[in-house]
Amino acid sequence: MSEQPGTDPATAPGARPHAQPATRRRVLALLPAVVALAVAALFPLGANSNQGDMSIAVFVLIYMASVSAWNIFSGYSGYLALGHAVFFGSGAYAIALMARDWHVPAGWSTVALLPLCGVVAGLIAIPVGLVALRTRRHTFVVVTIAIFFIFQTLATNLAFTGGTGGIQLPYLSWLVSVYNERFYYIALVLVVLTVALSWAVRRSRFGLQLMAIRDDEDRARGMGVRTLRVKLSAFVLSAIPVGIAGGIYAYFLGSIYPAGSGSAFDPLFDIALALMGFLGGIGTISGPLLGALVLEALQEKLTQTFSTDGLYLIIYGALFLVVILLMPRGIVPTVAGRLRQWREQRSGRTPEPAAGVAGVAR
Amino acid sequence: MSAPAMIEVAGVSKAYGGVQALSLCDLSVPEGSISGLIGPNGSGKTTLFNVITGYERAGDGEVRFNGRTITNSKPDRVFELGIGRTFQLTRIFARLSVLENVLVATQRSEGWLRGVLRLAGSASERRRAMELLDFVGLARLASDLAGTLSFGQRKLLELASLLVADPAVLLLDEPAGGVNPTLINQLADRIRELNRAGKTFLVVEHNMEFVMALCDRVTVLSQGQTLASGTPEQIRADPAVLDAYLGGDVAEAAAAEDAKKSRAKRGAPRSASAASGSAPLLTIDGVIAGYGGGDILRDVTIDVTEGGITCIVGPNGAGKSTLLATICGLLRPRRGEIRFRGELISGLSPGQVLARGISLVPQVHSLFPSMTVQENVEMGAFSIRDKALIAERLAAVQELFPIVVERAGEKAGSLSGGQQRLVEFARCLMLDPSLIILDEPSMGLDPNTRGIVFDTVAHMNTTGRTILLVEQNARAGLRLSSHGVVLENGTVRLTGTGREVLEHPEIEALYLGGSVEPVL
Repeated sequence: MSEQPGTDPATAPGARPHAQPATRRRVLALLPAVVALAVAALFPLGANSNQGDMSIAVFVLIYMASVSAWNIFSGYSGYLALGHAVFFGSGAYAIALMARDWHVPAGWSTVALLPLCGVVAGLIAIPVGLVALRTRRHTFVVVTIAIFFIFQTLATNLAFTGGTGGIQLPYLSWLVSVYNERFYYIALVLVVLTVALSWAVRRSRFGLQLMAIRDDEDRARGMGVRTLRVKLSAFVLSAIPVGIAGGIYAYFLGSIYPAGSGSAFDPLFDIALALMGFLGGIGTISGPLLGALVLEALQEKLTQTFSTDGLYLIIYGALFLVVILLMPRGIVPTVAGRLRQWREQRSGRTPEPAAGVAGVAR
Repeated sequence: MSAPAMIEVAGVSKAYGGVQALSLCDLSVPEGSISGLIGPNGSGKTTLFNVITGYERAGDGEVRFNGRTITNSKPDRVFELGIGRTFQLTRIFARLSVLENVLVATQRSEGWLRGVLRLAGSASERRRAMELLDFVGLARLASDLAGTLSFGQRKLLELASLLVADPAVLLLDEPAGGVNPTLINQLADRIRELNRAGKTFLVVEHNMEFVMALCDRVTVLSQGQTLASGTPEQIRADPAVLDAYLGGDVAEAAAAEDAKKSRAKRGAPRSASAASGSAPLLTIDGVIAGYGGGDILRDVTIDVTEGGITCIVGPNGAGKSTLLATICGLLRPRRGEIRFRGELISGLSPGQVLARGISLVPQVHSLFPSMTVQENVEMGAFSIRDKALIAERLAAVQELFPIVVERAGEKAGSLSGGQQRLVEFARCLMLDPSLIILDEPSMGLDPNTRGIVFDTVAHMNTTGRTILLVEQNARAGLRLSSHGVVLENGTVRLTGTGREVLEHPEIEALYLGGSVEPVL
């Protein structure tokens, strides 16, 4: 049982098993995840006095869940989806509409609607996926973008969405001191569930099929993989947590709008997911999380600090460029590759070419 | 036939635009056999594979598997029925591990919830996968990324990853192409062993020795039609098969003679005379080169004489196109050197090679289809800044190629294949190259057009340009040429004047398998 490629959650795809006993290795692999979770769970205790930081932390977690879910589809299948804001916005509108039309009182009962936001997003993902997944590569990207704008237009113009004025959610009378903290933990639960889902997919036969599609879809088809079914399942699966994240986002802000910066249907949301994914390392489990943590925290913090001028945008862009130039495969795969080389050199093995280099050699 | 047919192809046709890739093609693969499918370049072998396995739709005709019609079934369905295939350019999942590659085909269709919940590969599937990797000799590489494997190892992995699903018949597209001899033997042994265990094979392969030694039956395709079918001995003895490979027929001979006559008429110096004294224009010395995994050229040494036409012939996969790519700087040789007028050019970029006066007309049509003929020709001079010089060259080219004037304003894509070739020649002359390299100039052309193309090649030669030619149509190419070179398996097997090579008794065996003593 020493051969279990792809079961190691914290490293790049294809990380090789090392010459350590399996159990010890598995505990070691889980250690960073446990530490990260502990830090995340305890974070509010340290930051509680600073509501600004807490609010940033909530946004960071919302993005972590979203990009991790996005990665289940785009990272594993290699299809670059730039329309997940559809599901984010649908989730946001779903919670607002349900709260308004069903007269759900503010508080935990509205929070209980969140799973339904995921259901709505998942249901919407079925027809969207059926249309978009008929195409590949660039066409797929363009189709997802086009579908996004259709949904944005619908949200602006349909009778029940409140038009450009958007919808107010029920006023939440939680005290300022617990408001951020509660949303923080709600979002953290979503992040944990999404990462668990991503991890399960990564090591499942379903995930193997997805990654086979990423590497060579036609050949995967010729080896019995029902490609459309697999892709659509992943697409729907990845839409659900994004819908829930949209629901949390809407409730956290208290009101939603169909267009504009910070709205429910924001094209920058799609760009942000892609950037976070690529920065951290697309197709890995931890990479997108790291990307979201770095980019979203940085962006919010920079906006806070330099809000008067556009300086934060320049710093943000420059930093992103530097990281991508130095680590074109993303932070996690590059660092994992270096670590592996170092470990192999130390144990006297002949170093092998890094994963990505070999992967694109043909 | 004793055994019932497992795969039967009846009257299958397939056209791409105006090109008829398959026309009324028949094929029968008896159960338990190792069947071979051979034919020259462009004869439709891979297209037939694609039609059988559902990657392309048949325009007409029927495909049957164990008696039931499977025409135009989808690839995943065909695979589930028990037909597995490999690809000519090996396709593996580069970013999955070797073991994971094998596990992909163990995927059975099942509800996706179970699919998500289940591990990729149960313990028994993993054991089976490891057995298969052991069988093809890759077990110790199981946890490596498949992208790190060599070319030959990829072929073996491809085979193992099909076997895990236990298909009844395996379609192998050039299993030995680009694989080194040791691995080829290993591969042949494995195929025989599997065959003894009950698997049926259909093998497309250019390595004739491999095919003839391995297969029980061989079917020959030529221009999309089934030309012959029989035992390897019957195929070897069939003169029509040899003609299909060497491209010999009456029209060809006439065309080549015409070309020669017109050359004589123009009173240009006979190029071959240059062979006597002058130094070679291009020398290729001990070149070893290849892509990624394996070496395709294994020590090639050729001199290209100034003022002559040198024709390189050889079976598919001999390394002809690779050699041209190496000369043009598209591929850097691993060892050896290439000199042009004494200057070392191996290692230069394609642009630098071009600037020294070496111009390539590639095998695949390379005009810009939505630009006009005139624009395409002008593109040939795009590195020249001197407008007067461009006008002068254009006038010269227009004189040589009337089509450039007649069709000046038409889109290049609307021209026929032969006309496009001529425009390509015209374009390459805009740089006034001293060495013109032509990769299969007659490919895909009908005999009449071929004659015109060969005539033009001869004419370009008489106007002082040295020509290096790769030609599948070996007879026509060698007739035209002052020098002939036969390449096989990445090495030079024969050299001599065009006629000497053409009339060499062993050239037949070279194309259809059998050993050849090098004659130098």
